[in-house]
Amino acid sequence: MDCKHALSLMHDYLDNELAPDQILLLKEHFAICPACMEHYDQLERTELMLFGTKTQHFEPISGFVTANIMASLPKKAKQRVWMQWMKNHPAVTVAAMFFMVMFISALSFWNQDRDLMVKGPDLDKLIIEGDKVIVPRGLSVAGDLTVQNGQAEVYGEVNGNLTVIDGSMNLASTAHISGQVTKIDEAMSWLWYRITHLFSEVSYR
Amino acid sequence: MLGLVCGSEGFTLETRLALLARKGDQRAFAEIVELYKDKIFHLAYRMLSNRHEAEDVVQDTFLRVYKNLDRYDENQKFSTWIYRIGTNLCIDRLRKRKPTYSLDAEMNDQEGVDGYSILPSDDRTPESELLLSETQQLIRQAIESLPAKYKTVMVLRYLQELSLQEISDVLDMPVTTIKTRVHRGREYLRKKLERKL
Repeated sequence: MDCKHALSLMHDYLDNELAPDQILLLKEHFAICPACMEHYDQLERTELMLFGTKTQHFEPISGFVTANIMASLPKKAKQRVWMQWMKNHPAVTVAAMFFMVMFISALSFWNQDRDLMVKGPDLDKLIIEGDKVIVPRGLSVAGDLTVQNGQAEVYGEVNGNLTVIDGSMNLASTAHISGQVTKIDEAMSWLWYRITHLFSEVSYR
Repeated sequence: MLGLVCGSEGFTLETRLALLARKGDQRAFAEIVELYKDKIFHLAYRMLSNRHEAEDVVQDTFLRVYKNLDRYDENQKFSTWIYRIGTNLCIDRLRKRKPTYSLDAEMNDQEGVDGYSILPSDDRTPESELLLSETQQLIRQAIESLPAKYKTVMVLRYLQELSLQEISDVLDMPVTTIKTRVHRGREYLRKKLERKL
C-alpha cells in the first residue's frame, strides 16, 4: 500500500466506513510508515478537538427565548386550516357556496311577501274580510285554492287541493275538499313546496 | 394510505409535532422551537461567526418552517428539513457578504482600527475572549477561515453531529461529494491546527 492510498483509507476509517479487512491493511501500513501514523494521529486529534468544541456554550443574548420567536410568527393559523380544507375539497366548497346563495335568496323571498295572497279560480265569489278568506256555503271552487298569509274558512266545496301557507285554516262540517289539504308554516317545507310546485308547473307546460 | 391519514404512531416526536402544528396547534410549534432553537443557533453562529446574524437566522428559520408546514413531507426526517432551511439561510447570508475583508487587516484611514472593532454586533468582547481557552479560539478561527462549502459540511458533521448520509440529505448532494468535502475539510483544519496538535 502506498501512502496516498493509506491517506484515503484513514479518512474512511475516521468516517467509520472502513471494512475490517481494510482496517487491518491500514494498520499494517502504519507499522511500517511512521509518517502516515503521525498524519493519522493528527487527524484524529483534530477530530477530537472539533467534537470537543460542541460542548462549548454560547449563551444567546437575553430575551432570545421561545416566547419571542413565537410572538414573531404571523397570526394566521386559524384561517389557514380553513383555507387548506377548502383547497382540498373544491367541489364541496362550490356546492356549499351554491347552496348558501340559493338558501339566502329563497329565505329573502319567504320574508318578502307578508301580504295576503289568494290563488285559485272563482276568486270573485270568495269573501275576503281583512286576512280572512271565506268559501261560503253552497259555493264550489273548481280547482286548487292557495291562501298565503291569511286564514282560510271553508264552508263550501273545493274541487282540488287546499293549501294554506303561513296561516290558519278552519274547515266547517259542511266543507268538502276533494283534493289534499296542506298547511305550510316553516321555511323549509315552504321551500319544498316551491320546488315541487316549480317542477309540476314545468311539467304541465 | 389509511395509516398515513389517520394515525401518526409511526412518526418521530418531531414529525408528530410538525403535523400538529400544521393543524394550527401553537403549543406543538412552540415545542419544535424549544427543541431546535439552540441547535439552529449554534449552526448559524458557527457558519456566520456573528451572534446577531445567527439570531436573525434562527428567527427566519422558524418563520420559514411555520409558513411552509404544509410542504413538509412527513416521511422525511424533520431534523433534515429544518437543517436544510437553516443551512440555506446561512449560505445565502455568506454569499451576500460579497466583499470579504480580512478581519485582521488594519484599515488605511483609521489607525489602530481593525476589522474586529468595527463589527457592531460580534461578541468579541474582552470578557468573552477570556471565557474561551486559547485552543478553542484557535479551532474557532480555523473553522471560520474554511471556505463556505467546506465550512457547511464541517459544521454539520462536527458541531451538529449529523451522519454523512444526513448531511447529504440536508444539502441535497451525493454522499460521495460530502465525503470528499469532509476529507478535505479535515486536512485543511489539521494543517491550520498543526501547532496545537
